[in-house]
Amino acid sequence: MNETLVLILLVLIVGCGLGSAMFRSMLHSAVSLALLSATLAIVMMMMGATWAGLFELSVCAGLVTVIFVSAISLTQPIRRHPEHSEDHHRRFMALPFILIVVGVAMIATVLLGHFAVNPVLQPETAETAATFKEVFWGSRQADILGQIIVILAGAFAVVILFKEGSEA
Amino acid sequence: MSASMYLIYSFLGLPLIIVLALTLAAKKPADRLCIYAGYLAAIVQMIAAAAIFAALLAAGVESLTFSQFWDMSVSDSAAYLSLDAFSLVAIFCVGLVSLVSLITAQSTMGEKKLNFTNVLMMLMLGMNGIAMAADLFTLYVFLEVTGITSFVLIAIFHDIRGLEGSFKYLVMSAIASAFILAGLAFLFMEFGGLGFDTVAAAIGAWQEAANPTLLIVAFVLLASGFLIKSGIAPFHGWLPDAYQSAPDAVSVVLGGIVTKMAGTYALIRLLSELLTDIAPLTQACVILALGSILFGAVAAVRQSDFKRILAYSSISQIGYILLGAVCASPLGYIGAILHFFNHATFKTTLFVNAAAVHEQTGTTDIEELGGLQKQMPVTGVTSVIAFLSTAGIPPLAGFWSKLIIIIAAWQALGAFAGALALFASIFTAAYFLRLQSKVFFGLLREGLEEVREAVLGLKIAEILLTAITVGFGIAFPLALRFMQAQGWL
Repeated sequence: MNETLVLILLVLIVGCGLGSAMFRSMLHSAVSLALLSATLAIVMMMMGATWAGLFELSVCAGLVTVIFVSAISLTQPIRRHPEHSEDHHRRFMALPFILIVVGVAMIATVLLGHFAVNPVLQPETAETAATFKEVFWGSRQADILGQIIVILAGAFAVVILFKEGSEA
Repeated sequence: MSASMYLIYSFLGLPLIIVLALTLAAKKPADRLCIYAGYLAAIVQMIAAAAIFAALLAAGVESLTFSQFWDMSVSDSAAYLSLDAFSLVAIFCVGLVSLVSLITAQSTMGEKKLNFTNVLMMLMLGMNGIAMAADLFTLYVFLEVTGITSFVLIAIFHDIRGLEGSFKYLVMSAIASAFILAGLAFLFMEFGGLGFDTVAAAIGAWQEAANPTLLIVAFVLLASGFLIKSGIAPFHGWLPDAYQSAPDAVSVVLGGIVTKMAGTYALIRLLSELLTDIAPLTQACVILALGSILFGAVAAVRQSDFKRILAYSSISQIGYILLGAVCASPLGYIGAILHFFNHATFKTTLFVNAAAVHEQTGTTDIEELGGLQKQMPVTGVTSVIAFLSTAGIPPLAGFWSKLIIIIAAWQALGAFAGALALFASIFTAAYFLRLQSKVFFGLLREGLEEVREAVLGLKIAEILLTAITVGFGIAFPLALRFMQAQGWL
């Protein structure tokens, strides 16, 4: 069960990574990158690295995404030129090479014995769950509030700078 | 839960409640009431900060620390939030400048009042979080809140200048955040925690640490990030453009408090609580502070836009605050806090003056202005008093804080540093005399005959801030005696 879940998560990470590099829309790229960070955070937490997972989740999936989305909101109208659409298909020419490199890297990792799932993962121990609860809800309460505000500010940024800007 | 706990919650809770209430309310009443809701938050914040300050003094307690946000009565070794005299002064300043910004917004923001109030409330919350943080990661989170809300406010009107200023601010802020985050990661790797207490205890023996080079890199990254956010020269590139291009009500809050909270406050905390033993870093900050004092003053002389002059003046004045902080003496620290407060009041006054002139004449280019003293007597007089306080003329508030910083610099850093800081005050007088003579004195410029005094709200803001500047200056000897009695000096 754990191995299957981890494999799904790893495939999701690779898929999101490709998506963030390949999407034509910068907004989709940013969202894909956020999804990648969130998935990576789950893997980190399953491996017992609660603090690293928490920082990955809050900084990369939360704060950085809001900054990206806000920056895109500020810049996208300036960059929307018709000639850019010609590059759309060209970028997919690199996709097979990237997939081959990722595939070879994954096979090499398995063959070299670094992909030992069971000894590393600790999804069901009470200790891990308690640590996560303690870290996320016990120690970093003020940060959670701050991050909620960051996301709220990001939503306002999109509405004020992007939606209202396009209506103007 | 005691009454003071509710007051502390109000710093983070009340702005959030107002944002939620205004967002969920019907548009028409929200549009009509938003500014008043903002006034409420700002005034409650000022009263709460003053009340907690008085309670701390009465109890003889230096600071309150909290390890649980939901239950502030819990306080163990791992503190994430704390309140002391400096943080309460900063929170009071946030409330005061936000109040004045809202007053300015009432006559200048038009249909954007609701959005402005919502984002300003989040900005207030972010700055309060910075003031209360006792953990470097918590500080970083609230820095991001402040940064994001600031660049939304600068670009709120979608004009090209605002977008350009906002984009510059965004880029520099993102670079600074990346530096700070990388520095935090290195510190976390080395110490396993980011609480001020944890880091301060570990830094005492940094030279014996497992990887001192990594720590030096971490300190340099952290200090660089906060220096960029402070707008200290030579990291100031974004600041004049952001101040000039922002709408008037936003310039007030940016110039009055945001830059100081996002950069200077955090830097003072870092230097006074964590990095006191790192001599090379302190020496670098002394050089940067003196350089910034001189550069800001000299560059301001050459500007022709009211708001740009104020921006370069801020670069210079923030240099004074940093100079006080790096003296590593109680006198320097007190001087830095006092100048922090004074700069918030006199610089906000000057930005309100700029808003009043812009509102009445349609320009902030000083070459197109002249002789406005008769047309705008309140704006003219308050502007002169704020400029005299900035230049450090007795008995105004700015004189005392500058005097303390210069004495502290003379004692701790030598005669050269003290003399240089004193010498730079002459330039302050020079650029402000030029500003006053171009805008308010001399013959009335053609086309400005119909100009009238600013609207009532702006006049009230100007008079309120000027009263604080004059009142604090006159009452300062009493404050000095009080600080000596408390053992702060």
